[in-house]
Amino acid sequence: MTEQSKKDNEDQKTGAAQQLKRDEFDAAGKSLSDALRFSFMILKVIMIILVIAFLASGFRTVGPDEKALVLRFGKIRGVTEERVLGPGAHWVFPYPIDEVVKIPVEKKVNLAVNSLWYYQTKDEILGEDPKRKPRVAEKLDPTREGYSLTRTTRRSDEILGSDGSDYNIVHSKWQLTYKIDDIEVFFKNVYVNEIKPGQIYFDVITDSIKPLLQNVFEEAVVTALVNYTIDEAIKSKDTIPRHVKRLVQQELDSIESGIKVVSVYLTDITWPRQVDEAFLASIRASQESQKAISEAKTSAENTLNEAGGPVAERLLATLKDKSITEEKREYLWLQLAGSAQERIAEARAYRTQVVETTKANAEYLQQLLPEYRKRPELVIQKIYQDTIEFVLINADEKFVIQPTEGAAGKELRIMINRDPSLKPKSSQPSEQTGQ
Amino acid sequence: MRNIAVPILIVLIFIVMGLYLVAFQVRETESAFVTRFGKPVREVTEPGLYFKWPTPIEQVHKFDARMRVFEGDLTETTTKGAVPIIVNTYVIWRIADPLEFLNAVGTVPKAESKLISQISDTQNRVIGQHAFAEFVNSDPNKIRFEQIQAEMLADLREPVRAEYGIEIKTLGIKQLKVSEDVTKDVFDRMRAERKRRTETTIAEGNAQATKIRTDAESKKTELLAAAEARAKAIRGQGDAEAAKYFKMLEEDPKLAIFLRNTDALKKILKERSTIVIPADSEPFILLKEVPALESGK
Repeated sequence: MTEQSKKDNEDQKTGAAQQLKRDEFDAAGKSLSDALRFSFMILKVIMIILVIAFLASGFRTVGPDEKALVLRFGKIRGVTEERVLGPGAHWVFPYPIDEVVKIPVEKKVNLAVNSLWYYQTKDEILGEDPKRKPRVAEKLDPTREGYSLTRTTRRSDEILGSDGSDYNIVHSKWQLTYKIDDIEVFFKNVYVNEIKPGQIYFDVITDSIKPLLQNVFEEAVVTALVNYTIDEAIKSKDTIPRHVKRLVQQELDSIESGIKVVSVYLTDITWPRQVDEAFLASIRASQESQKAISEAKTSAENTLNEAGGPVAERLLATLKDKSITEEKREYLWLQLAGSAQERIAEARAYRTQVVETTKANAEYLQQLLPEYRKRPELVIQKIYQDTIEFVLINADEKFVIQPTEGAAGKELRIMINRDPSLKPKSSQPSEQTGQ
Repeated sequence: MRNIAVPILIVLIFIVMGLYLVAFQVRETESAFVTRFGKPVREVTEPGLYFKWPTPIEQVHKFDARMRVFEGDLTETTTKGAVPIIVNTYVIWRIADPLEFLNAVGTVPKAESKLISQISDTQNRVIGQHAFAEFVNSDPNKIRFEQIQAEMLADLREPVRAEYGIEIKTLGIKQLKVSEDVTKDVFDRMRAERKRRTETTIAEGNAQATKIRTDAESKKTELLAAAEARAKAIRGQGDAEAAKYFKMLEEDPKLAIFLRNTDALKKILKERSTIVIPADSEPFILLKEVPALESGK
């Protein structure tokens, strides 16, 4: 092989390689443009998807017990009613233009306030063993024990110069129920913690406003209770809770919180355990005295009932009242029962009897008169004999005695078998002197 | 199409990026101010979208303007007349003047540490002007508890606003207590008061019960007296009615009296009587002898 041919050969080789390269370039360019076109296609699709996703991300659902505000560039969108979105799906401009703030409104939240109750260990709270009374310290540690002050009763015998600053100590437990009423005011003014992932928004709100409510509530209780005596406080069913509710709402309104107090409930209220005995004794005493009074009332009722029956009181009242007609009074007299009635009945019986007897006697006399006028002695004798006979038949014991003449010193003694059921009468002779 | 879309896209991206540099939002819950080269230039308290120079030139400082609660410590102070009293005061506050706030305190924890001493000063000042009897009093009209809290608020509000840019929305005493040793005396007094009450209750109860009984007794007496009067009247009526028949008896008074006597005798000796009678009286005379009867008359 010559050099030339070698060279030619080489040239040929290079040419072929170049040709090959060109071919490769064409193919690469083609595929590149294809790839580019394809990626642009993908990009377009992605962009369209992104735009759709961007727009779709503007859909927000507001739950059934929620309301929502739309912040456009941070400012609440819309005017008056339109500002608040109700439950349902809503479309807003996506972030960063619009932002939806959802706030639960209808949900009522209970907040137990136990900070004014006495200190209890966990065991005492959980396992309330009635047998084992917890040891009670003689004093109240202000850092540990919760309580509030109540005023004392105003005494008429208050010592002159006393400023009336005596007070009592009372423990109380409360429950506050509230809801978010004005979401706009609430959102603007009330601090709510940032929501961390995994947290429920509602719980975050509840936790965030708890200290605020707790403080406002405790202040209201302390402020209200100084106006009441311990007895009023302990007996109170709704006066004090109403007072507290008013104060809490007043404060919540004044700070513009948008929170509404639904109810305030006094769960428990008691005197300090240190004075338990004295209070229980006092309660017992009032129960006993109530009992004594009700017994007295029963006995009074019985007394009056015995005396005059159920109408006794009314009758007495009418007797004093001059304006009451005689008819009505008569009617009441007729209703009368008891011993008063007995007396009247006796009198009536007497009247009937006396009238009837007199009448009978008079009529008897009238009937007898013609016969008597004809033969007076016989009539008299007959009546006399009848009488003696009647008397002697009815007599339990009879003694027929032979009278003696003249002898003054003679004495006759008769032992009379006295009826043991009879009371001895001084006039009843136990011995009879015969003549 | 590509020729139009691409530039639009690029422009849009630039606009958005530019906006990010020059615009800022202030939310309803915030207030803010803008500094230029570190110097404050304006304050923004209204929510909305605002513009500024890009970051190195102007900077935005935002503050959460919502209400926060701060509780003081349980502290002992003295009222007028040197009565010790333990109170716990809370405040509800917000950043009202962000610039002032940043200059004076800067952060919330620092603000709270300032507040605690301010609250304590206010407590001592205001409570020291009021007697204990104005906190709690047996006469409710003398209680000034709410006014005291209002005074404390007034005392605290102005200086805190001026010095720290903090607005105090409200202030309240949430614990009103007395020192531990005093509680013992309070209990003694409560016991004594209860005892007195117990005694009065018993005495009152007894008195009332007695009164009820005696009232009933006197009512009974009254009623019986009234009934007796009525009974007497009825008896009188009877006697009067009976008297009408006396006229009929008048025709032979002697006979009438005789008849009355026989009736009386029958009635009186009807029961449980023992009669001792001489044997020569009628009809026992028969026991002695046969009477001499004259026939034919």
